[in-house]
Amino acid sequence: MLWAESILLRILKLKMIKQLFLLLTLLFLVQGCIAVKEYNKIYINDTDMQLASPGMERFETNFQIYRETAAGANGGKTGGGCGCN
Amino acid sequence: MVVKQEAVVGVINKVLLTFCLGFFFVAKAQVKNADSLLTYRKKVLESVEIDFLTSYYDQSGSHAAVTGGIGNEDLQDFSPTIIVRYPLNQDDVLTADIGISAYTSASSSNGNPFNKSGASGGGSSEGSPWVASTGASSEDILTSINFSYAHAAEDRNKYWSVNLGTSFEYDYESIGGGASYTKLWNEKNTELTFKGQIFLDKWKPIIPTEVHEYNLYGSNFQTNVKSYFYEVSVIDKEGISTGNYMPSKFKDFTSVNRNSYSGSISFSQILSKRLQFSVFLDYVIQEGLLSNPLQRVYFKDFENYYIGNKNAIANYTSPDNTSVFHLADDIERLPSQRIKTPLGLRVNYYINEVFVLRSYYRYYIDNWGVRSNTFQFELPIRFNMKWKLTPIYRYYDQTAVDYFAHYDQHNSSSSYYTSDYDLSAFFSNQLGASLTYTDVFSSLKVFDFGLKTVSLRFQNYKRNDGLSAFIISAGLSFVLD
Repeated sequence: MLWAESILLRILKLKMIKQLFLLLTLLFLVQGCIAVKEYNKIYINDTDMQLASPGMERFETNFQIYRETAAGANGGKTGGGCGCN
Repeated sequence: MVVKQEAVVGVINKVLLTFCLGFFFVAKAQVKNADSLLTYRKKVLESVEIDFLTSYYDQSGSHAAVTGGIGNEDLQDFSPTIIVRYPLNQDDVLTADIGISAYTSASSSNGNPFNKSGASGGGSSEGSPWVASTGASSEDILTSINFSYAHAAEDRNKYWSVNLGTSFEYDYESIGGGASYTKLWNEKNTELTFKGQIFLDKWKPIIPTEVHEYNLYGSNFQTNVKSYFYEVSVIDKEGISTGNYMPSKFKDFTSVNRNSYSGSISFSQILSKRLQFSVFLDYVIQEGLLSNPLQRVYFKDFENYYIGNKNAIANYTSPDNTSVFHLADDIERLPSQRIKTPLGLRVNYYINEVFVLRSYYRYYIDNWGVRSNTFQFELPIRFNMKWKLTPIYRYYDQTAVDYFAHYDQHNSSSSYYTSDYDLSAFFSNQLGASLTYTDVFSSLKVFDFGLKTVSLRFQNYKRNDGLSAFIISAGLSFVLD
């Protein structure tokens, strides 16, 4: 069964790479099509529209890094710097 | 006639010369003005900003990792922090971020569960995984200091930053640094950021008392007069006094370092006047001592040995047990390398002047067998220019690491083992809200600083394994007039 698992893992990895490639292609296609002018960015520039986490969220992120295994992919801490997970 | 003509030509030449000189000086002045227009650009940060932040965290649970997956998990943490952002010029900002985290922890205190009762003194030994002790790790302070320097290009289409920081507590210290580069294009509709970070951490291992004494005095640790367990009665599961207890699986550490290297890419795109998204991908490699030396492990194929009241053994896993303690078979062991790959997506939509929808999803995978999903939704509701209430909901799930087993369920033949429920399979729900007051004119003054924002945030966290917690955070943001 080990060989079957190994093949399955390879297929999954291949699928993930394909999906990632498709995602990147889509992202670059999207960026070429859209250009909102500066004078039309009144909503986009709203503080609540920021794509970063609010500063006050740092304390929650901090306890989550200790209490949960997954971390990162939010522009903040990815692991290390503490005796946490 | 010739003289008259020469005089006219002379006048014309003078006029032309005057015109040319005038044009030259006017043009020069205009170029100078144009230059000065070019050199004017909005500052990245208008003036000095100071944030005072603080939080209080309270947790309870019944799966303490220090006592092998059962026991009191009560923990309280208080974290005051100050952040100062200082504009060096139009393009450069220096940030200092200094904080402490002072905590008391029932489970950490049970690294030595016998302190209160004085096991070494031959008195009544009443350690229990359900009762907090007065061990050295019962309370601690984590101090962290970080500095960062950020630079923006004149056209504000390129940013780079570097950071350096350190943190230290009783049994752990860390030094780290990193750099990031951001490029914007497509009329600032598209943004790409690359980030690298390194942490060089070091444990100062504290191990459970019984393992520590065994490591120090070998098989004589119950008879050596210097040992903490000298003349202390160790009993088996029948309550009979014995000298057979030996945590011989324990091997001293070959390395106490833990290094983390991470690379991150994030891509942001504006999709319409009201919609934008961002994709984050991290790749993290951690190497070294990745386990926690204070956490006990019990093997199901080993005899159980205790210190304390033999009548309480039958009731050991119940919180009613306050008088007997199961001695460790070993401490947590985990592989020396871990590779983490989280992929995140954030989508924000401006509904109208009152509502904004903020959403986040993360998929996480690592080479220890963990798969995880995180969803978060926030809905800022603006009552007026000053007041805003934001309800927040977060869902999280994870599968267990390959090396996890419950209390007393590990096999001694395994190379790696942990009973830390933070590494087990579970899901959690987090519900809370944030209340924010913003004064764009900063009319309330404290010395030369105007109060810009006041924030209060509350979150309630529940895990399906029984762990629950709440956190209250507060923040004041000041700006120099």
